[in-house]
This record gives sequence, structure tokens and C-alpha cells, in this order.
Amino acid sequence: MELDHWEEELLEVAERKLERGEITRREFVRLLGVLGIAAAVPGALAGRAKAAEAAQAGSVRFLIAENFWANWEPYQNTAQSQFRINEQIYDHLVEFPTGNIGAPRPALATSWRRVDGRTWEFKLRSGVRFHNGQDFTANDVKASIELASGATKKKTVDAGLFWVPTTVKIVDDNTVRLTTKQPFGALFSALQHSHIVSAADLEGPAAALKKKPNGTGAFKLVKDEPTKKTMTRNDEYWRRPAQIAQLVWEYVQDPQTRLNALLAGQAHAIDRVPPEHLPIISRSSKLALASRTGIEMVNLWVRPGRSTLWAQNAAYRRAVNWSIDRDALVRNLVKGRSRAAQSVIPSGTLYWRAQSPKYTYNPARAKAELANGNLADGGPEFELWVAKGFLPRAVEVVEVIVDNMRKVGLKPKVRTADVAGVIDDIFSKKGTGLMYHLSWSSNGDPMTAFQVYSPAFAWYFGDKTIANLLDAGMRATNPAKRQQTYARLQAHMWKQVWHVPLYYSDFTVGHSKSLKGLRVTQNFSTNFYPARLA
Amino acid sequence: MAVRILRRAAQMLFVVWGAATLTFFVLRLAAGDPARLVNPPGTPEEIVTQVRHRLGTDQPLLVQYKDFLVDLLHGDLGRSFHGEQSVRDAVFAALPNTLELAGVTMVIASLLALALGILAALYANRLVDRVVLVYVALAQSTPNFWFAVVLVLVFAIQHPWLPAIDKTGPESFVLPVTTLVVMLTPVLIRTVRQSFLETLGEDHVRAARARGLPERRVLLVHGLKVAALPLVTLIGLQAGFVLAGSYVVEFVFNWPGIGKLTLDAVNSRNFPMIQGGVLVAASGFVLVNFVVDVAYSFLDPRIRRGAR
Repeated sequence: MELDHWEEELLEVAERKLERGEITRREFVRLLGVLGIAAAVPGALAGRAKAAEAAQAGSVRFLIAENFWANWEPYQNTAQSQFRINEQIYDHLVEFPTGNIGAPRPALATSWRRVDGRTWEFKLRSGVRFHNGQDFTANDVKASIELASGATKKKTVDAGLFWVPTTVKIVDDNTVRLTTKQPFGALFSALQHSHIVSAADLEGPAAALKKKPNGTGAFKLVKDEPTKKTMTRNDEYWRRPAQIAQLVWEYVQDPQTRLNALLAGQAHAIDRVPPEHLPIISRSSKLALASRTGIEMVNLWVRPGRSTLWAQNAAYRRAVNWSIDRDALVRNLVKGRSRAAQSVIPSGTLYWRAQSPKYTYNPARAKAELANGNLADGGPEFELWVAKGFLPRAVEVVEVIVDNMRKVGLKPKVRTADVAGVIDDIFSKKGTGLMYHLSWSSNGDPMTAFQVYSPAFAWYFGDKTIANLLDAGMRATNPAKRQQTYARLQAHMWKQVWHVPLYYSDFTVGHSKSLKGLRVTQNFSTNFYPARLA
Repeated sequence: MAVRILRRAAQMLFVVWGAATLTFFVLRLAAGDPARLVNPPGTPEEIVTQVRHRLGTDQPLLVQYKDFLVDLLHGDLGRSFHGEQSVRDAVFAALPNTLELAGVTMVIASLLALALGILAALYANRLVDRVVLVYVALAQSTPNFWFAVVLVLVFAIQHPWLPAIDKTGPESFVLPVTTLVVMLTPVLIRTVRQSFLETLGEDHVRAARARGLPERRVLLVHGLKVAALPLVTLIGLQAGFVLAGSYVVEFVFNWPGIGKLTLDAVNSRNFPMIQGGVLVAASGFVLVNFVVDVAYSFLDPRIRRGAR
């Protein structure tokens, strides 16, 4: 039984009188009886106790550095910030709490087994509910996976990037079988990306899906503002409910403003702490850093079709690689947990292997390679583009690189723009840049890490070996075979150096020490379950 | 007078339309494809094409412009590229916050400028005047983004007396308003000082003194009435600078106003949101100037007569 508004008010008045000693406990009960609301009091008080508990659990505010949120339509965007917030609201069949893509853990699926080369069987968890109260069933898995993977007529972004078409057969209420169109080694990586949505929601109007996410996750969205997403704890969560009552993700563009808010106690966590702010947070007795070497590859990406010299002269490419002091960049500029690149994929990627030789700053060797390639004069001038305000200290990094390159006779010319300008130059037919200082991140599976070098992307130089090994890697379902294929691919690409690998990014979240149990992983996941406020 | 007001109103509409059109085309002709910015660099062309279609940026420019104008005439500012919220709702939710900030700033800056300007004029070339002029020079040469951060470091972090960011209550106005006031007052003080100096030497002030009127009445009635006229014009002009300055201040203080809304949108080329923000800011600027023009006509009889 719920109380009406006026009954609530009467109850409050009576409570205040009881607290002030103006009435006795017996009079209090009698008064409620007279008012006819005695029966509702235990429930109401329980509700208040719950509210008090929620207030104690508190609200956590996370200031995030990206604002590339699209809408809530499932599987239709690739923005990292969208994926990260989805993780709070939705669940997946399996999860990777440590960020290690090779170690799936049960989530909405309790167990799984391989049936044949293309089929996996998953046992589903029972007693799970969506935020709107609807039960989670095998139908939801079927609708979600088939849509995400491209097995339906509707095109999705996820299908193009993470999946091969996959059909789902419902064996019984708690069992489904996923059959991929071809042998598919990255199935669990795809499952990590594509969350489970209610089948009823997917059948309903698209407009509703875009506006209101309805997951089974630890938090539910209650307020959606352009740069601020307010979530509250899902008290019906199938695990123990979150220990945080309210979670606010808010986009704050300026890193200094984010830092100020954290230092002033107006935010509990801030995203993407830049190198210059790391010592400030480290020195504070009330703050802490959660740092990882991010699964993000920062390269000088070379645009195919802009320089025949680059495409045909491997010695030129090697000379560029020997001309850059990566260790100095990492040590003095990017800092944190960033690492000089030793392969074409980041070190946190499954099957990553350090390649040889390690490209260090070796001007003599760079000059020798230039001479080898009949370019003793350093070759022609080329444009190196860098985006302001995108990657940490990008402009300074590129200035150092240019200085390094000039010392061996190379002739880079720096062009600075905002990220939109850089991206425009990459894709414009009138684009003039040859190299671009940018990054590519993935979830840690080699397929998604290597994908950017595939024929579907703008960075493919027509190297058939890469295309063939990528295809072989995707089809390899045996872990040993996958590992072997990706080892070959890394070795081949390190030898060819079509692009210039620089370093793996630092990923640091700064947070208040009162926020315990925040889960920050190398694939940029920032999970507030089961964090708590001390 | 009515004709003059109508003519100014028509000019005002023309300026607003010009600002909207300019913003529309500059955004689309400048570098930056919004469809590419919602995907990681290098995303397959097919996906980018899908997004471009969803955003409507695949339409010819003139078709997009026509749609924009038609929507605008219906009071529809479009939907955000990110999250698809109504731009009108977002802009009108943010507008009061900017107006409050600008309003409080204008009032405090005007009162401060009047007080310091008159003081400096009364004690011209003496210590008080020099102190005021030193403040003016310092304030004029202080970048507001730097000053804002210093204020936060001192009064929100070093001494946690005031909030560092957000609009949370009256106390949250202190730091952003101080930043804006320091930015705004130098030119106002100089104007009041100069105007007052000139007025004090005029015949009507001398006549008032000759009639034996108390000095306070001479200064505050006979002097101020004339000396304040340039201030009214200047406040109108400065309203635009306050709006522009508040962009930086809103950014630093995470103030939920039009400035922050627009700057956040610029980074991700959220065209409808930028257009909405600029349109409202331009309209506000033009409107304030219109009001000042009209007020000036009432304050200065020479302009009224000229209008006839």
C-alpha cells in the first residue's frame, strides 16, 4: 500500500512531533490509526529506510573526456564513450572483468561449450530482468545477436566491424546455440562488444530504442541530457545491487576543468588524465590514479596513394622508423603507462609478441637505410599532420619527431589542425598529407586490433599477405592456430612497416580515494560496478 | 519614433538571419565531416555513409539550407547529432544560465565602473586615480581563461570556500562573475572617468555649483546624468563581449550555459547545436543593442529630435 501525498505529509508531521517528544509513541500509533494510514506505515518507513540507504550510498560523478555519444540505438555506433557507458546499463553473454579478452567470465550466460567448428552452445542465466521489469529470455539473445551480427536484413555498424553473420537457435528456455556463417575465431570478442537488448524493444518503434536504453545492467538511465547521463542503481540487478545509488557521467571537455573538479571534491573520478596532471594527483593524499597501458596504438599513419616512394621503397620506410626516439617520447612527453611500440598492435592485445628489431633512435642506421634506398639527400618533402587537443601532447610529440627526422635528412613539414581538419585531409581527394599522428584502439582481440590495416579501411597498401593472414586469423578457431597466424602477421607487418608505429597510449583515470573498487581496464572500460563510496 | 523602432527591428531581423546563414555555411564549408567524427578514423566507407545519411549531411548544401530555414521559421532548430535531443530544448534550457551570469556581471560591472570611474575623475591625477588606472591596466592585460583558473586554484582548491565548477547556488556565481567583471570593467571605468571629467568642466555643472547646490547633488544629478550616457551605449556594446567572454568562462567553470553548449558541440561538429547556440547568442546581442538604441533615444532628447 502506498501513501498519498497528504498522508505522507501527515506522517512527516507525526514523526516530527514524536522526535520532539510532543507526543508519545503510543499517541503516534493511535494518531496514525485515526488517520487510517497505520497499515501503510511499515511500508512507508521501509521505503524511507531504502531512500536513506541510497543517500548513504551516495552519488558518484565521473567526468569523461569524450562527447561522441550518438543515440541509444543498439549496435549502430563505434564511439568508445558509448561503449563505455553501455557497459553500465547493459550486460553481455560473457564478460572480461580484467580486460583480458582471452579469459571470458560468465555474465548472462552461465556456461558455454563448443558444439562444432561454427557452433557454440550457451546456457543462460535465469531470474534476470530488464530495467522495465521484463524477464530476460532466450528470445532476447536471438534478437540481439542476429541483429548485431548482420544475420537480419537490417544493417548495423557492429556487423561490419566485429562480427560475421550469426544465427541463434533456441534449444530451450535457458539454452541457445550460436552458429556463425563461417568459422569465426573472434566470437567472444564480438560478444564482448554487443550487449543484450530486449527482443520486445527491438521489435518496437526505432525512435523509442534511440531514446531509452533498457538493459539488464547494474545501472539504469534516468536522465538523458546532451552532455550528461544520469543513472540510478538497478535494485533488481541479478547480482547484488550496486553500492552506488546514483552514477552521473558528464562530458567536460577541458582537462584542467576536470582536474579542478576532482581537486575541489566536485567529481569522484575523471577520465584521461593528461601527463602534466599526473604528478598533481599523485601528490594528493585524497586522490589516486588508476593507470593502464591502453590497448591503443599511436602511429604515424601513412595514407596510401599519396607517395609512390613510400609504397615502393622499403629502405625509406625503415629509415623513418630508425629516425624516431620513441623511448624519449614516452619517457618525457606521453608518460604514465605509455610504452614504446614493439609491434604493430598494442601490448595488451591477445597474442601480442615483441618484434625484432626494436626500432630505436639510431641516426646512423637511418642514414644508412636512406643511402640504401638511393635517398642520401633524405628524399622529398612530405606533410606530417597532427591534431590539436586530441591525443595527449600530440603537437609536442610531433615536434620532437620532426626534429628527429630532420637530423637524419628527412624533410617533414608539420601541418596542425583540429581532429576534424585532420580527418578531412585524410579522406579528401585533395588531401595533401602523407603521415598523420593518430591512434586506433580495440577491445584487445587481435582481429579488432589488426582490422584497421585491412582492405576495408583507408590504411591498406594493397599488401595481399596482410589481407590473407587477416582472413586466416578470423577463420581460425583453434587458439594455437590463431596465435600462430597473428604471430606471422605481426612479423610480416613489422618487416614491411607500412605505417610508423610509435607507442601504446597511457590510459589513466584519476579518482577520489573514497571511491573504492573502481574497475579500470586496458581496453578503456571504466566500470562502476561493484565500486562503492567509503 | 515608431518608424525608427520599426526600421531598427527590421535591421535586427536581417542581422539575425545573416548570422544564422553565415554560421550554416561556414560550418559546412569548414573542415570536419560529422559522420566521420562519430566513428574512429579509418572506419569503412559504408559505415560512414550510413551515418551521413542518418544525419542528413549527405544532402546537397542548398537542400540542407532550405530545410534549415523552413525549420527555423517553424521555430524548430533541429535535433542534436549526438543523442538526437531537440536543439531548441537544449538551447532554451541553457539560455537562462547564460543570461543570469551575464546579467549579474553587467550589473556589478556597471556599478563598479561608475563608482571607480567617478572616483578617478574626482581625484584626477592623484593617488586614487592612479590606483584605479593601475587596476584598469592590470585587468585589461589579464587573460580571462588564466585568471579564471587562478581564482579556482586559490578560492576553490587551496581554500575550499567556493565551488570550482557548476552552477550550484548563489555562491557558484562568485568566481565566474569576478572573472567576467575583471574582463569588462577596464573599458567601462575609462569611459566613465573620461566622460565625467568632461562633464565636470561643462557650463551646466558650473552653473549648478554657482547656484549653490550641494556638491553631492551637482555630481550625482547634474554630472552623472550626462556622464552616464556613453556608459549606456557601451553597456550595449559590451553585452556582446560578455556573451563572448562567457563562452570561455562557461567552459572553465563548466557553467551550463549557451557558451558551453556551443563549444562542446564545436569539437564534434554537432552542426544543429552550434547553429542553435550561435543563433541565440546573435539574437541576444542584437536585441540588447536594439534596447540600448531605443533607451538612448529616450535618454537623449537630441536623438529623439533627430528622429523626427
